[in-house]
This record gives sequence, C-alpha cells and structure tokens, in this order.
Amino acid sequence: MSHLKSFIQDQRTDKPLLLMTHVVYGYPNVEQSLEVMSHLLEEGVELLEVQFPFSDPVADGPVITDACHKAISNRPQLGACLEHIKDLAERYPNSKILLMSYLNPVLNYGVERLAEDMAGIVPGIIIPDITIQNQRMLEPLQKSGVTPIWIVTPDTDNARLDGISDIAEGMLYCVSNAGVTGQQASGLENICSYLTRVRQHSELPLSVGFGISEAEHLLRLKGHADVAIVGSALLKAFNKDGLTGVEMKLNELQSAISKMSAC
Amino acid sequence: MSDEGYFGQYGGSYIPEILFNSQQQLIESFREAMADECFLQQVKSEMQNYSGRPTPLTYCGNLTQSVGGAQIYLKREDLNHSGAHKMNNVIGQGLLAKRMGKNRVIAETGAGQHGVATALVSARLGLECTIYMGAHDIKRQYPNVFWMKQLGATVVPVTTGSATLKDALDEAIRDWCTNYDNTHYLIGTSCGCEPFPEMVAGFQSVIGEEVKEQSIAQIGRYPDRIYACVGGGSNACGIFLPFVNSGTELVGVEAGGIGDGPGEHAKRFNTEQARFGIAQGYATRFLQDDQGQLQETQSISAGLDYVGVSPILADLEQQGKVRMTSARDTEVVEAFKLLMVNEGIVAALESSHAIAGGIREAASMKATDSIVINVSGRGDKDIFNVAKALNDVAFDDFIEDYLGEAAKS
Repeated sequence: MSHLKSFIQDQRTDKPLLLMTHVVYGYPNVEQSLEVMSHLLEEGVELLEVQFPFSDPVADGPVITDACHKAISNRPQLGACLEHIKDLAERYPNSKILLMSYLNPVLNYGVERLAEDMAGIVPGIIIPDITIQNQRMLEPLQKSGVTPIWIVTPDTDNARLDGISDIAEGMLYCVSNAGVTGQQASGLENICSYLTRVRQHSELPLSVGFGISEAEHLLRLKGHADVAIVGSALLKAFNKDGLTGVEMKLNELQSAISKMSAC
Repeated sequence: MSDEGYFGQYGGSYIPEILFNSQQQLIESFREAMADECFLQQVKSEMQNYSGRPTPLTYCGNLTQSVGGAQIYLKREDLNHSGAHKMNNVIGQGLLAKRMGKNRVIAETGAGQHGVATALVSARLGLECTIYMGAHDIKRQYPNVFWMKQLGATVVPVTTGSATLKDALDEAIRDWCTNYDNTHYLIGTSCGCEPFPEMVAGFQSVIGEEVKEQSIAQIGRYPDRIYACVGGGSNACGIFLPFVNSGTELVGVEAGGIGDGPGEHAKRFNTEQARFGIAQGYATRFLQDDQGQLQETQSISAGLDYVGVSPILADLEQQGKVRMTSARDTEVVEAFKLLMVNEGIVAALESSHAIAGGIREAASMKATDSIVINVSGRGDKDIFNVAKALNDVAFDDFIEDYLGEAAKS
C-alpha cells in the first residue's frame, strides 16, 4: 500500500475531513513562502501542496497564475525547493508534503533525478498537464515511492475512471467542476453524486479541489471526500492580509472541521 | 504522423484531464469531417467564393533584377480575404465547429490577423466569438482589435506573464477548460495538442498545393527553394508540406529580433536557448531558461513573437527536411521597403522575414534557379510600426491632428 494512502487512512480514523493547503514556492519570495508553509504545518494541516511555479500554468486561474509569475521573477530553483521541502518534512513529521508543478519544470530537472531527490521525503506529485496516456513518463517517480496523483473530473466517464483507478495510488484528485483553480465552486450541488460515482470505481482516498474556499464547502464534502484541497482561497487571504489573513482563513476552515467531529 | 498526434518526438497531447472528452470529440469529428466529401467541398467552396482562392503566384522581375541571382516569385496569401493566410484555417475550423454543434469559438491572436479572420468567419457562420490577445500586442496592433470589436467579437486583453501570444494561448486553454461544452477552441497555428497541428497544417496545405500547379504552369517545374516565415508555423507548414521530399529545398525564416541574447528574439532553432520541452498542450522546441520556464520573446512582428513552434516543423527540421534561418528586425524593414518600391507590394512585417531570408540567399543563386517566397499577409495593419521604423514625422503630425480634431468634436 502506498505511504500516502495509509497516512490518509490513519488520519481519517478520528477526523471527518483532512485539509490539504497549497502554497506557491517563491511567492511573494522564497523566504515568505516558506514562512507560510511553516505556519500551515505548525497549525496542523495534514497535507501541504507545494507548487513549484511554471511560466504557463494552464490549469490555474488568475490568482495562482499571478502568484506563479511573480514567483518566477525571483528565479526559483527546483533543487532548492526540494531542499526546503526536505527540511520542512523533517521538522513536521506528522504531516505530508506533496509537490505540484507542470511537466516542463519536471522534465527539465529530469524525472529520474527528481525521483531520487524526492524518495522517502515527498510521497506524491501532482502534475495537471499529464494524463494517464503518458503515465510511462513518470515511472521513475512511481518506482521511488513518489506517487503520481491522478486527476478525475465530473466528466470522466466510468470506463476512464476504471482506467485511472487501475494505475492510481495514494489518492485521487477529484476536480470539483469544469474550469481552472480558484473559480466559484458552483457545481458543489452535484458533488455528492459525483463523489459517490468515483467511490464506486476506486478504493483510494478522495481529495477534492478547485473552488473550495469556505467552511460551507467543507460541510458539503463531509462523508463524501477524505481531503479538501484549498489553494486560491488561502492565496487571496494572503494577498489581502498577509500571514494574518492565512491564519484567519485556516482557522475558519479548521473550526468547521472540528465542529463536524463534535456533532 | 504516428498515432496520438506525434511527429517524431514532438507533438502529442499534454492537456488537463478536464479536456479529455472534448479533445476526443474533436479528434473524432475532425476525422469524420475529413472523410466526408460534402464537408471538403464546403471548405473548398468557401475558400474560393469567400476568401478568393486560388491566390496568385506573382513573378517579381524588378526585385529579381535588383537582387541579382535566382528568379523570385511570391505566393500571394496577402490577397486572401482578411489579408492573410489565416483565413484558410478559420474557414476549415469554423465549418468544423458548426458541424460539431458548437455555438461559440475562442481564439488566441498575436498580430491580430488570426483574431480578425476568426471574427470574420464567426460573423458569417453565426458563431459567438471571444478573442484572447496579449495586452502588449493590443498596443502594437490596435487597428486589428478595432475591427474584431466591430465584427461583434469580444476581445479580452491578457495581462499575465509577458502579455503576448503565449499568454493569450494559455488563457484560451483556460477558457476551453471551462466552456468546452459549447465552445470550440479555434487555434490559429499548427501548435497545441492533437489534432490541432495536423488540422491547421492540413487546412493551410492548400497554399503549397496551389504552388505546385502554379510553378509547373509558370516556371515549368517546381521551384528550387521555398521560403516562409516561422512563428507558430502555420503558413510555413501550409506551403512546405506538399513539397516535402519533392526535391525543393524548404527554408523557414524565424524572427531574429534585435539580438541573440535571451529575450531579444524568437528563434526556436539554431540557438542554445531553445530545446525540447512540453507546454501549452504539446511537445516541441521551446525557448526556456535553466529551470524550464518559458522565455520572453521579441520581434518587430507580433505574429512571429512566439516561444514554441509547430511540432511538425520541429520534426522536419530534425530530419533535415526543412532548414531554419532567421532575419533581424533591421534586415526585415529593409526587405519590406525593397519589395514595396520594386513591385508595389506591401507585405506584412511577419512575411517580410521570409522576403529578407529569400533575397539574402537569392543573390548567391544562379539566374536559372527560382525561388518562391510566401507572402503570408499584407502590411496595411503594420502602418503604425512601419511609420515608426521609417521615422515618418508627417505620420506623427497626422495622428496629433487627428486626436486634436477628435477632442474638439
């Protein structure tokens, strides 16, 4: 069983929903992005998604795209990013850190080299511009225990869900709705039937992202998903009120989850 | 082409999962349409009766004499409706969108030629139309933006990143991810995921097919060399592909910009700043830095200011079937003038790269040799940039007077 899957299942024994928060490495600069990451881990988020910025992030909406472009002006290095992740992983052993980026920075670094550097530290990688047709490109990562996290959408038909489930490990990333990151989660009305359908095709933990920004959204996910992924909402909070904004948003989300446990 | 849209190691499909169904539908519809004689006739009829094809092959006696060397012929894509080869592609894809039952098209545009062509065809076919254009390009090419708006299109300025063609393309992909149900992404060049490179190159191949017939009729044989400017690569694919393995040498001319340093040009070949990469849905040679970030590009012509290149051309170049060279801004303006004063033809600055490459090499060829240069578009749209490059003071006075009059009324 993959390390990530067992981690999520263990955590879920006494929590109704886990949080995966997202930070763009290098935004607004490397130091401050690390500060936000440390803070989130300090506050006990179970999973942290670190996005290594790419110049052309086609699956991301305006908030994350803008952050990526600003981050790139500081010329972030993937090698240094991995060192920083390693350091955080050692300091916060109770959480797991996943890497997210697009194919080009990954290929540029070298998939084999990335697999070597991530083994034992980062249990999963999210790459939104690769689908299962090209899964062989990521084989070295899989072999090193760095699970590629495959994405499913409300439009993924049953046959394709089976195809994805056949090779997926760790968890599935369920995109809430058509579109890009950071849009209103208008489709959450149908989230229940969508996740129930995905569940029929896979035993893996289900994480849900795209447009998850408020406590109310988390309530809708309860009982249907294992992990709520929050990206743009935290970034917006940071842009507005800095680290305090992140604290407040995280607090809102975490209290919503605590209340779920209580009732 | 091999399965799954690969051309050697280039091409393929690297898109978000959300686009999977939509892309499959497009591939299927495209294959069905291309096997349907009725659809092909419809495309041909629109190309003839709406766009004015076939476009002429024009012999340039004065230019030939002035350069000295090979006989120079121009393929006149500037005489298409809309003033550029872009019309060939939008006719094909517009009809395909209708056939697929889509009521909306979106497109990216650099110089604005593809945007205008898309807006024209959308008006004719009754399609809702949204054009993504880099804010930087809008500044350079406002006349085209004006016409797109008049034609009923929504023009969205893209301010992210370098605010040029590559960013407009990213934004179009994001729109497609969101609205694929009713929207066809009418990409303007032979780039992107399967089946776009093959589809756009296919609709553009009418250019080369015509040159085959015309060169036999006018020269008595195929030309020795063909020149085309290369941005994304659609006009080059269009004129080159029918001539691959024919004995004619195929030469692409990239934007040399203002220098060889990073960010000073848009050359994807013959530079260490470009190498294999995957972005914007496909694999090709991209200008990128040591971290794999796509680089900014520069050119006097917005239409060549692109960071990637058609996977079809990347593969042909690797196989040695297409040779790539480049021309800098200054050389391009000289070529533009030389053609204008000798033949009375105003070429687009994009196409003037091909002119520059062609006349540079024609000089050292024999008088019994002949070359064809693809004039992919006409230069009217470049009036502001050309006036600036030629330091025409009277033009500035005109603009000032115009603004003064406008302020009074």
